[in-house]
Amino acid sequence: MKSMLFHLGLLGFILAVGEFRALALDGAVVIANPGVAADSLTADSIKDIYTAKTKYWDGGQAIVIAVLPDKTDAALQQASGMEAGQFKTFWQRLAFSGRGQEPKTAADAGALVALVAANKGAIAIVPADTALTGVKKIEIK
Amino acid sequence: MQLQRNTNLIMKTITQKLVLSLTASILAAGTARAYDVSLSTNLPPVDFHGFLSQGFLYSDDYNYLGDSKQGTFGFTEMGLNAAINPFPRTRIAVQGFDFDTGNVNQYHPFLDYALAEYTFNDEIGVRAGRIRRPAGIYNAIQDIDLARTFVLLPQGMYDARWRDWSAGLDGGELFGSLPLGKAGSLAYEGYAGLVNMSDNGGVARYIEDGLSPGVFNSIDSTPTFGGQLWYNTPLDGLRVGASFTYMNNFGYTITEPGPLPIHSQGNVPMQQYSAEYMWRSWTFQAEFYTYDFTGHEYLPTMGNAVIGSAGDNPQTWYAAASYRFNKYFEAGAYYTQFRDFAWSKPDPDGHQNDTALSLRFDLKSWWIFKIEGHAINGTGLLRDSASNPVTKNNDWFMLAVKTTFSF
Repeated sequence: MKSMLFHLGLLGFILAVGEFRALALDGAVVIANPGVAADSLTADSIKDIYTAKTKYWDGGQAIVIAVLPDKTDAALQQASGMEAGQFKTFWQRLAFSGRGQEPKTAADAGALVALVAANKGAIAIVPADTALTGVKKIEIK
Repeated sequence: MQLQRNTNLIMKTITQKLVLSLTASILAAGTARAYDVSLSTNLPPVDFHGFLSQGFLYSDDYNYLGDSKQGTFGFTEMGLNAAINPFPRTRIAVQGFDFDTGNVNQYHPFLDYALAEYTFNDEIGVRAGRIRRPAGIYNAIQDIDLARTFVLLPQGMYDARWRDWSAGLDGGELFGSLPLGKAGSLAYEGYAGLVNMSDNGGVARYIEDGLSPGVFNSIDSTPTFGGQLWYNTPLDGLRVGASFTYMNNFGYTITEPGPLPIHSQGNVPMQQYSAEYMWRSWTFQAEFYTYDFTGHEYLPTMGNAVIGSAGDNPQTWYAAASYRFNKYFEAGAYYTQFRDFAWSKPDPDGHQNDTALSLRFDLKSWWIFKIEGHAINGTGLLRDSASNPVTKNNDWFMLAVKTTFSF
């Protein structure tokens, strides 16, 4: 009986924590290709994108994730719930089983912005001090 | 027979040259980035990825997954894939694949997957063509070395020689992710199709190995259906899953020991239960797998007279943990047990337990290197009695080394 109450309490705690989930990216912002209709996204919808639950924008354009290895790892973890290595492995599993498209990588923040600007449906997390040219900033609700 | 040998030799030579070319290309490129190729200004670019894995196996007592007792490099996998989203919510993907594991496949390239996919929304999509079969954590990516910590997955569950049995099928599937609000989400895949068995595949070699004396004739492709459910819990990083697969009338033909061919046929229900938890730099995994096959043996040339039955009822479980220290280094370990309850073989042949310790080095984003030790108890998964005529030692050791290049 005590064990059952403990597990019910644990489940309740988890559900309560889940209710207050919010996304704060450390020193980073979310950007997207200007062709993306959305101007804002919720923390949950960003997580759904980075965990492959959502693969298309409203309207059907394929979502192209672009990443900046090393420099935005902390923010990527906050968005996806996975550390950088786990995130890479997760997408490699999808790509090599025919179930998804591996994120594109850029060497620096400027290249990442250019990559997002050039690819329809692209989304990325960039350092907050990056000059944003040819892309739109996505507000996190 | 001579023609067949010459053909095999030519295929092997061509594949080896392709391997060298692919390696040289990756090394010359020196980058992990995919290649995007534009076919037309009206279409999005085609996204190319590829990999080449070369392994080395050494064991101190038995020949396992090849001629490992003297050390073998006959442990290779390579793949090249392309994907495009030509229309809204539509995706086409294709992958060519080749591998060599002991006496299985031996460098015969084949179409691994070729599929078209339409996603109605997050909750439902449809995929058709040649697809990889989802089951557990690793089945759909069982031969993708770069997507895991370990060189060898628990072999009672993910036998490196049995990919024609387990990896894919020609057919279709429904997939999607159902939100459950605060309770998490449920991801599902349900599929049906035809599993293409190969007369030169691992299962055929396993059947052949069990004939003493006897001749293996052929193995049937098998209608199969099943599904995979993953419950993504509200606890970040924790998911639990269950999969079920049903092979309908799996069968094969042998001739033993008399002159008449014997056909063995039966259904194969499989179950797999999985849990995975990613917490900080840790990944914890545990899975259980079993199937139950009873093949009824009959004589097709004698009015299908039933003469007996034989089968397998294996159970395998493992628990694994891995830890990533930094972007360059990861370590992992697992313990697994395999036992077949349909057998009456005395130890050490009736089971196989394996304690594995693995180190993974990500030398570059496009180049990884792994080294792994296996302390093994039992010989139940050797499945190669010709190379292991005597199995008297219970405890033995295996070293597995592998390097993978990818882009």
